[in-house]
Amino acid sequence: MPGIVMPSEIGRANEHDIKITWQDGRESVYPARELRLKCPCAGCVDEFTGAVRVISSSVPDDVRPAAINLIGRYAISILWSDGHATGIYSFEYLRTLDSQHRTAGQ
Amino acid sequence: MVTADHVFQALRSVQDPDLRRDIVSLNFVKEMRIDGGRVAFAIELTTPACPVKELMQEEARKAVASLPGVSAVEIRMTSQVRRTTPQAPGGLLPPTIKNVVPVASGKGGVGKSTVSANLALALAKRGARVGLMDADVYGPSIPTMLGITEPPQVDEHNRITPVEQDGVKVVSMGFFMRPDEAVVWRGPMLHKTVQQFLGGVLWGELDYLLVDLPPGTGDVQLSLCQSIPITGAVIVSTPQDVALNVAQKAITMFKKLNAPVLGIVENMSYYVCPHCHTRDDIFGSGGARKIAERLELPFLGEIPLVRQVREASDAGRPVVLTDPESPAAKAFMDVAERIAAQVSIRGMQAEAPVKVTF
Repeated sequence: MPGIVMPSEIGRANEHDIKITWQDGRESVYPARELRLKCPCAGCVDEFTGAVRVISSSVPDDVRPAAINLIGRYAISILWSDGHATGIYSFEYLRTLDSQHRTAGQ
Repeated sequence: MVTADHVFQALRSVQDPDLRRDIVSLNFVKEMRIDGGRVAFAIELTTPACPVKELMQEEARKAVASLPGVSAVEIRMTSQVRRTTPQAPGGLLPPTIKNVVPVASGKGGVGKSTVSANLALALAKRGARVGLMDADVYGPSIPTMLGITEPPQVDEHNRITPVEQDGVKVVSMGFFMRPDEAVVWRGPMLHKTVQQFLGGVLWGELDYLLVDLPPGTGDVQLSLCQSIPITGAVIVSTPQDVALNVAQKAITMFKKLNAPVLGIVENMSYYVCPHCHTRDDIFGSGGARKIAERLELPFLGEIPLVRQVREASDAGRPVVLTDPESPAAKAFMDVAERIAAQVSIRGMQAEAPVKVTF
């Protein structure tokens, strides 16, 4: 379907971080803790106001993904080492996060 | 002297109009046998419900018969439905199911279940292996429409054996509740039921699993699209603006979930007076076709509003079975074939699966 770029491979960049290779060739690395704090689930982000509710100090410094599952055709869910697993990270969201990361890094 | 090369060369002139390639490069020609002037082979299509099966057979026959030295041509038409659902390791979808096609509407009361039941029967009549999951947990009507009264068997591991009716394997929430009961559930229970109906049912080999969705863009739709990669949804609407507006919301939802839409069916398209045979466009006309054109989606056909369709469904013997020569039954057969063609087109577009190496 046009519009969204699909990943071709989702794996590890290192012990902690996630790496996604996209079908258009782009490679994105997501630092684990940063991605955990960007969890889009209703417990971490207020569904009505969009205010972030996850408390940074409550997430261990060495948090890392334990498992990744595909959600239909549009997203992944991540089981984090701190037990959190309710976030559904859509490919669109992951792509946006990567673009923001790149812009911030420039 | 006729050789296989000559025959293959001749067959390159026969096109599959849906896949827009010739049947030789599509690798449809199998089991070539040549005995003097007698030529025999099989054409293996991507669906038994191919809308142009006879046409292609005739074209192939003519192409080969015109070769010098050919005295007889024997063509066997077969089919092998291709898988469109990429297999995720450890996924919920049984590997024996090749295609999952939800039937959705947005608005309620547009005849989604009637359409689902008739389409499932139509595909089965064409020789496909078909399952029908009634995912309308609040108002399951498939058992009534197909006249199923026996509940399915559930084994000690809680696995359900679907009820087989007229060649269609059926599972419905209606099997597990009394008619006077009501399902009053929140999302998590719906999610579990959808997952049970996918992974906990002994579906066996299926070419097409149709899913009769409840109206709307809620928990069941979301659960289905999250649990498995669907082949593509069929959207049912009446020609009315009010229904079409809501149908577009359903399409938007599928887009958001990156789930393909195979096309739009217009139900209750028009009414033909049984007495004077005048056509009356009760709900307006051509609305769904226009929306399909605007959204660049295939238009899958029109189903007339006929008393007989309703009566047959209420009686548990859908019109595709009871009166296959009626205009309504023929309309359902046409729509089923167009859906099968759309699934085949998807099956040819090799979709790279997402590899998870974790």
